[in-house]
Amino acid sequence: MAETPVDALLQGSTGRNTRGLLRIIILLTIAAAAVSSRLFSVIRFESIIHEFDPWFNFRATKYLVQNGFYSFWDWFDDRTWHPLGRVTGGTLYPGLMVTSGVIYHILRFLTIPVDIRNICVLLAPAFSGLTAFAMYLLTCEMSISPSAGLLAAAFMGITPGYISRSVAGSYDNEAIAIFLLVFTFFLWVKAVKNGSIMWGALAALFYGYMVSAWGGYVFITNLIPLHVFVLLCMGRYSSRLYISYTTWYALGTLASMQIPFVGFLPIRNSDHMSALGVFGLIQLVAFADFVRGFIPGKQFQRLVTAMVVIIFGIAFIGLVALTLSGVIAPWSGRFYSLWDTGYAKIHIPIIASVSEHQPTAWPAFFFDLNFLIWLFPAGVYMCFRDLKDEHVFVIIYAVLASYFAGVMVRLMLTLTPIVCVAAALALSTIIDTYVLVSRGPGPQAKTNDGTSTEGLRSTRNPVVGITSYISKAIVTSSVVVYLLLFVAHCTWVTSNAYSSPSVVLASRMPDGSQFIIDDYREAYYWLRQNTPDNAKIMSWWDYGYQIGGMADRPTLVDNNTWNNTHIATVGKAMSSREEVSYPILRQHDVDYVLVVFGGLLGYSGDDINKFLWMVRIAEGIWPDEIKERDYFTARGEYRVDDEATPAMRNSLMYKMSYYNFNALFQQSQAVDRVRGSRLPAEGPQLSTLEEAFTSENWIIRIYKVKDLDNFGRDHGNAAAFERGHKRKRATKRRGPRVLRTE
Amino acid sequence: MRPITAFAALCGFFLSSSSLVCAQSSFKPPQTFKNVNLVRNINLEKGYARETVNVVVENVDKEPQSTYYLAFPSDVFDKVGGLEVRDRKAPEKGPLAVDALSVDTPSDVQYFAVDLPKPLAPKSQVTLGISYYLLSSLSPRPAAINQADKQYLTYSFSAYTLSAYPTVTQKTKLKLPSTNVPDYTTTSGLKSGSDPERQGTTYTYGPYDTTEVAPGTTYPITVRYEFTKPVITASLLERDLEVSHWGGNLATEERYWLRNNGSTLVNQFSRVEWTLTNFQQLPSSAIRELKYPLKPGSVDPYFIDDIGNVSTSRYRPGKPPKRDGSLELRPRYPVFGGWNYSFRIGWNNELSAFLRRVAGSESYVLKVPFIEGPRMPEGVQYEKVVVRVILPEGARNVRYETIETASNNGLPPADQITFHVSPHKTFMDTLGRTALTLTVENLSDEARDSQLLVTYDYSFWDGMRKPVTITAGLLTAFAAAWAIGNIDVSIKKR
Repeated sequence: MAETPVDALLQGSTGRNTRGLLRIIILLTIAAAAVSSRLFSVIRFESIIHEFDPWFNFRATKYLVQNGFYSFWDWFDDRTWHPLGRVTGGTLYPGLMVTSGVIYHILRFLTIPVDIRNICVLLAPAFSGLTAFAMYLLTCEMSISPSAGLLAAAFMGITPGYISRSVAGSYDNEAIAIFLLVFTFFLWVKAVKNGSIMWGALAALFYGYMVSAWGGYVFITNLIPLHVFVLLCMGRYSSRLYISYTTWYALGTLASMQIPFVGFLPIRNSDHMSALGVFGLIQLVAFADFVRGFIPGKQFQRLVTAMVVIIFGIAFIGLVALTLSGVIAPWSGRFYSLWDTGYAKIHIPIIASVSEHQPTAWPAFFFDLNFLIWLFPAGVYMCFRDLKDEHVFVIIYAVLASYFAGVMVRLMLTLTPIVCVAAALALSTIIDTYVLVSRGPGPQAKTNDGTSTEGLRSTRNPVVGITSYISKAIVTSSVVVYLLLFVAHCTWVTSNAYSSPSVVLASRMPDGSQFIIDDYREAYYWLRQNTPDNAKIMSWWDYGYQIGGMADRPTLVDNNTWNNTHIATVGKAMSSREEVSYPILRQHDVDYVLVVFGGLLGYSGDDINKFLWMVRIAEGIWPDEIKERDYFTARGEYRVDDEATPAMRNSLMYKMSYYNFNALFQQSQAVDRVRGSRLPAEGPQLSTLEEAFTSENWIIRIYKVKDLDNFGRDHGNAAAFERGHKRKRATKRRGPRVLRTE
Repeated sequence: MRPITAFAALCGFFLSSSSLVCAQSSFKPPQTFKNVNLVRNINLEKGYARETVNVVVENVDKEPQSTYYLAFPSDVFDKVGGLEVRDRKAPEKGPLAVDALSVDTPSDVQYFAVDLPKPLAPKSQVTLGISYYLLSSLSPRPAAINQADKQYLTYSFSAYTLSAYPTVTQKTKLKLPSTNVPDYTTTSGLKSGSDPERQGTTYTYGPYDTTEVAPGTTYPITVRYEFTKPVITASLLERDLEVSHWGGNLATEERYWLRNNGSTLVNQFSRVEWTLTNFQQLPSSAIRELKYPLKPGSVDPYFIDDIGNVSTSRYRPGKPPKRDGSLELRPRYPVFGGWNYSFRIGWNNELSAFLRRVAGSESYVLKVPFIEGPRMPEGVQYEKVVVRVILPEGARNVRYETIETASNNGLPPADQITFHVSPHKTFMDTLGRTALTLTVENLSDEARDSQLLVTYDYSFWDGMRKPVTITAGLLTAFAAAWAIGNIDVSIKKR
């Protein structure tokens, strides 16, 4: 076969080295592509933390870097959830912050003082390069074809389903968690294949890291036991399986219990029970396997049946009893909403109000995965062809993740790795079949030439079939076209959909130059510079983390939605009349109220559009005082113009959004550009709050809560007096004159 | 040791360390001089008061005298900046040495001691030009105004210039920024005729014959005038100049903590009103924009604050030989009276324009502006300025001086600039770079054009230290990796 000088390089030990070098170069290139495709936002805008949750992670990281690990561990944050505070150190997954902190200190040690912000911004792209590498390792375990691993790494590097959560600046738990997920699965598959304690222990170690980094670790906690369970059911018990599972479970559970936020959940929460159950089951199976060597077949069968019935009965009764008695926590609300998509909307509006908890629309699959989504079933089918233990894992993962991705948008993220694996398996089979197979029949055909038979003549120069050049050319070129389209699609999606920091908005000037709308930071920086250090800011919870991170002021509620009642209190204050809201504001020491208003600019993500969620969440706690129906017109419309309902018009949120908005339009009538409606000629009046700051494009409006009136009047009267209205003196009806007697 | 000598020793210690001369609380300057004629010019066109006093001084003692004392009220003493005294007859000889006298117990008047270049013979005269500025000496009245209202400042001073010595005749010229002056004190009984005399925006108090008036007598005068411009105050300016021989680059970064000392807002900020004000281009007491000229050839400017890039800035690069570049900075929000805004800006320059090698030796001379800062018609005052010149790693024998010119350079006397040299460890340093830190209090944008000269020694091998260290480090890492890779850690025999 060695005919060309290139072939000489690809054979023997030189060939192995060359291929190894090529593979490393390709992997490095893939990692570079993965990193650079995530830098759109840094190049277009700046090195800035995106969106909402990353701002908290960034703030926590800064706290860790400034105060050291132990005070971070014990951190009680009195600047959020005023007046309750939050035990932040015990209620977060510290993996992300600790990772950045370690990188920061290593760089410091090497005397390369990189700003912690830049480390945080670039952490996600850096880890995506590692994810591509982990993907290569995982896929190489699945297939003997070397191209599968490289293809999977390339897919993982640029697929939008993963980029959506790992662009530069998106400093969230998922940034490192997906790498840990893939790498843990790789170690697990390796452990199962080798039956090695070392690989099992490594899997447990990385599982522990994963637990410290993301709440999605529950997915691993359930997937690995399920894999073992299915293997047991398939009758594939082996000592390899026993060794790897028991090692992983024992060490992994201990590791996970080191995280304060997780604590004793692994033995008390229903989400973790399957791992414990399978751990017990595999002991029984191992015992049965051991016993089988000593007892004849028929008795053994009976023994096993009896044992299974008894133990399952006891275990089930025990589980129910423990759950009812409260030792084991029942399933969490988020868990139920995985099975019933309507559950959250009815029972937990706060979960339903987050857009990424909504069910996925089907175009999203194509949007995020492009042609991988239709290679995916083919790849899963490939796994059925040689159904080894690791292929069972792929199949289970594929089935579970597809279901979850259909239920919640954000779980697309867990689906992406397995789609990449399966698609790479399918595509590498196609490529191997069409590109490599020709070499096989080649020499055979030569030897057969001497004894040419009738049957082979038709196959000698085939026009169709996998060895013909035409079909090879067609298939190869179409694969290349699909791959090119995939790259184009990924780049386009990343650049257009996933690279906006959402703190800074961009628009175009008439001459095509970029115009940056920076209202959020304008207002946050105003708060930071010109209000007292402990001024309490009330806003809807979406903006809590940003206020904490950028304005550095205490907030009432934030994106860590741990206390529904507190959020409902804010919702009630926003959706009630001023007379009702003012005592609530006073009781919570609120100094400033911040609302987001897009009516001037046409920015649709504003508070009036979110208002119904505030109403719903408040209604959940105070059904007598707040009713969602009151905010809709008689015909069931949600309106802000002349026909808005009284409850709507008198709500604090409505007043704060539109206060003084008329004045901007001088003579003409004010128009809300988001809802496309003309506003009432008379704007709302505020008496208990005063406008403190409004950003340039009116996106952020900040109101100061007035102090109690100096003369002891209520604010309504005081404001009316200021406007020049005489106080309406209630004409006291005097009773009949009574003769005074002394 | 007797207490007197101990005190003297203490005084000597202060003298050497911080150039302050100790004086007892009951210190009275010896009455050895007489001010024959004194003319004071007060300029209020900027957001701080600039005063120039020209005085003809005569020695009335029998001995030649060499120390002339300048008196300031105690509440103003700490706000005096850029004090400079020159001989009017020979300004090109540079400023005279001035020492501040510290007083350990509070008293009404405090003094600076001026050392005359040569002792003044009895009966002879010398003309001194004394110039200085007073920071935070203008107070807004009313203290709170509506957003679109005009802003008024008041300035109070004494009709009789405070001096340690009797003054024969004196007058005060007041230069105001506008003709809108609603209130000013008219004196009575100080001189015949109307006082002050008014000419455009100039008000003249005096001349007064004050032979009989005892030194230290005051006659309070207050003017209130329109100043609808921001009173820009930097409570702190940190300025870093980093010299890189390898990169041939001079990197400058400045961190400002700005405040507007003008009238605060009666009500809260109204965006509607502000939009109208901007639309009609009306003057305002808020900081809208800072215009910052940069040296020709400045590149890569940035304007950021604690939460990232401020997108509302524009840079017009200058033409390299002569024309300055212009950096237009707009704060995120208009900075009204009482509001703060802190930010940082930075840029790079070609080092060759600032650094010269002393021929035939390993010394270098660096000439950079002491401060730059925005150039605003309303002026900028700095309460504290920390200039840090970061020299390359291994620079030794660091000396500095400020360049004296024929006119006032706005800097205080050299001994009121405190300095220290410390190591500064940053990118891949082993020893740390040599950083020269200069701290000045009470500075204004009058000092914009002043220059700082730093000389230091720096050898070829100092420059090679970093590449050698990095190479050695990498080689060590590779060798260690190779050694570790060769260790056989397997349990089984191969």
